[in-house]
Amino acid sequence: MNPTLVMLLAGGVGSRLNIMGAHRAKPAVPFGGVYRIIDFTLSNAMNSGLTTIGVLTQYKPLSLMDHIGTGEPWDFIGRTRGAKILPPRTGQMDSDWYKGTADAMRQNIDFIESNAPERVLILSGDHIYRMDYAALIAFHTEKRADVSIGMMTVPWEETQHFGIGITDEKQRIVDWEEKPEKARNNLASMGIYVFNTDYLLQALRSQKEHDFGMHIIPAALKNDRVYAYPFKGYWRDVGTLKAYWEANMDLLDESSGLNLDAWRLRTNVEEEGLLGDRKPAIVTPAGTVKNSVISPGCVIKGHVENSILSPGVVVEASATVTASVVMHDAIIGAGSRVDQCILDKLVQVGADAQLGVGSADLPNRDKPKHLSSGLVVAGKGALIPTGHKIGRNTILYPWLKAEDYPKSDIPPGETIRKSGSDY
Amino acid sequence: MKRVLALVLAGGRVDELSVLTLSRPKSALPFGGMYRVIDFCLSNLMHSGVENVGILSQYRSFSLINHVGIGSWWDFVGRDRGATLLLPSQHHKGSDWYNGTADAVFQNLEFIHEQHPETVLILSGDHVYKMNYLPMLDYHRKKDADLTICFASIDAKQGQRFGVAEIDDEDGATGGRMVDYLEKPARSSHRWASLTIFLFKPDVLYKVLTERSLGGGTREFGRDVLPAMLGKYKIYGYKFDGYWGYTRTLDEYWQTNMDLLGEEPKIPLQEWQVRTNLDHDRLRDRPPAKIGGNARIANSCFYNGCEIEGEVQNSILFPGVKVRKGASVRDSILFFDTVIEEGVSIDRTIADFDVRVENGVQVGVGDSVANREYPNLLHSGLTLIGKGAQLPAGLELGKNCIVAPELKATHFERNHYESGTTIT
Repeated sequence: MNPTLVMLLAGGVGSRLNIMGAHRAKPAVPFGGVYRIIDFTLSNAMNSGLTTIGVLTQYKPLSLMDHIGTGEPWDFIGRTRGAKILPPRTGQMDSDWYKGTADAMRQNIDFIESNAPERVLILSGDHIYRMDYAALIAFHTEKRADVSIGMMTVPWEETQHFGIGITDEKQRIVDWEEKPEKARNNLASMGIYVFNTDYLLQALRSQKEHDFGMHIIPAALKNDRVYAYPFKGYWRDVGTLKAYWEANMDLLDESSGLNLDAWRLRTNVEEEGLLGDRKPAIVTPAGTVKNSVISPGCVIKGHVENSILSPGVVVEASATVTASVVMHDAIIGAGSRVDQCILDKLVQVGADAQLGVGSADLPNRDKPKHLSSGLVVAGKGALIPTGHKIGRNTILYPWLKAEDYPKSDIPPGETIRKSGSDY
Repeated sequence: MKRVLALVLAGGRVDELSVLTLSRPKSALPFGGMYRVIDFCLSNLMHSGVENVGILSQYRSFSLINHVGIGSWWDFVGRDRGATLLLPSQHHKGSDWYNGTADAVFQNLEFIHEQHPETVLILSGDHVYKMNYLPMLDYHRKKDADLTICFASIDAKQGQRFGVAEIDDEDGATGGRMVDYLEKPARSSHRWASLTIFLFKPDVLYKVLTERSLGGGTREFGRDVLPAMLGKYKIYGYKFDGYWGYTRTLDEYWQTNMDLLGEEPKIPLQEWQVRTNLDHDRLRDRPPAKIGGNARIANSCFYNGCEIEGEVQNSILFPGVKVRKGASVRDSILFFDTVIEEGVSIDRTIADFDVRVENGVQVGVGDSVANREYPNLLHSGLTLIGKGAQLPAGLELGKNCIVAPELKATHFERNHYESGTTIT
């Protein structure tokens, strides 16, 4: 018998990540050069000594399934270990998509029962943080709780985005507000739950509700023992382009608290990117690099500063890359300038092109809520033709070709789509 | 390609590499910022579709065993695939160390028999090159040769360092019949040097090795087997004209590493697609390299786990190397997890694993006087620092020096050692 089964919700549609989340689930979005966002949760589980995990996928699961593979990179292989991908299945209904966190668990009751754990740890794969789940489990046991929730103090102005708990002096949660307009407390749920298995199964079977935060937890407070485990430390929901870019930049700031080496972060090096075939990074005689994170396979002939480069990025002679996140195998053409950009895999910046010019005051016209901080975002495989100028807050859709650009000088706030496609 | 059995000669220790091969065979020597030298040959085999490999080793095999593992990193795991380490073992008549390359293969004839190969490919595990073995194999078959040897052209004056041959013009640039062979001749006019890549018909291999085994002493392919086969067997030379990097001497090893650098590196690693064992030395567990705001890096390569805050020029940094603020590293090769503290200046230095160079140390200063104890090994200005050594703050070390492995800071009696000193 396994004392703790991990159920990792990795279905997230990262809609506010715009084109970054267009062809992959949010947990599969690359981060920090060689990682994906889900690596933080998987590595936390490994480093907490947890050995059995179910990963619930739903939205665009392919790159995620590739990434998790057998679970070997996180030591989930062995006689009593395992990582299972749990996609939605056809059940009594024709198609039973997961309708919420609790519904996803309900549809996998058979998996939970077959593992017969003492308790179930429910996590989401969307966040950048390090946490010792063993300490949470010890807290849960010590409090003799039915449910314990990982919670942290957030700025008051952000309380409206979270489930908020009101606790007594023994950390027992006595009241709950789900995404309140005006909160009574600023202790927010991180979407991390430990349930005693019997309690979880009984709750799932006796109710029809789909969501823990909205329904199951508030309903449990009156009669059952629900506790708040206090978490302190670095935690980021990189659900927006701005937050995603900032969290990447935190890697360059020692005082940020984000430290991948100390966190023993692990990833799968043998999927798509094939780190196994990547050579050491090289800086040529004319190249310069300052304050940056550089992955294997990069070739830097130009100048890179304050940036995060994934494997295989080529920065050609006298090109300049500043304050940018550049993903696998992107090519930055000779003499080009790339400033405050997020460039997805295989983006090709033509010679002498300029990305991130002009004012940052105008938000993106189509998606002002997605993009207003001045970033330029280019989707996978997009081409930026030679000599083109791209203003800030611009979105370039995946796989753009030269003929998709209406003109060579794109003002701030534009969105360039592939002609004839509504990607 | 399961009918080809490859045997990699990986055992040799070469005294010419001094402290670098005290604890590992030459083939397990770190190379190029993340690799071991044997990775080149194993990757060539993988890309050539050769799927059955025996690796012969006897000198300090531990790091090699660790590195090769079950061969999964080179795709040698599968129903009809495999990588096997062939170490010396006891026989009913006694136990035998491998006594030369040919003897090593001779002692494993049983293993070779069991594989039922159609062709046996014997190659050396300590060269840096990219080669597809299939065209050579095609040539070997087409010629119905008993033995085909791969050669590169050299200046006849360099002949005394190689096994050299004369090849006739039967197939022009592809190859021809080998009409003469001399092992490291003092003088000769032969222009083709053996690259230690042999394709044997198994029966021929069994026969010549069994015959040769009757004599005593060491048995080497180049010195003993090939000359004895001349004139009795059908031997062809296959011509190779790509890059060939040697690692036999410290100067060669250093230069071959430096061939990775420059605007147009002689070794185009990206094209070669060399693979290594990413589990060895925690390669895959390390975060990407972090480059500080005041770093100055030019013409250098580095891998995950490096932290560079100082100046790095014309150098190769292995995973986990740290170069602190105000430190300067030039023309050097630093193995895994070596730490260069603030204000250090090091020139033309090869530092093994886990070396610690404390604040303000200077390495590679002064005149270039050859090493007094090993003038033949160390005379071009390189300084060697053995595994785990600690150089105390303020130390000055000249050129052509050797620091023995695991020396602690307290071992150093002086704070200045002139060029050519060996510190043990």
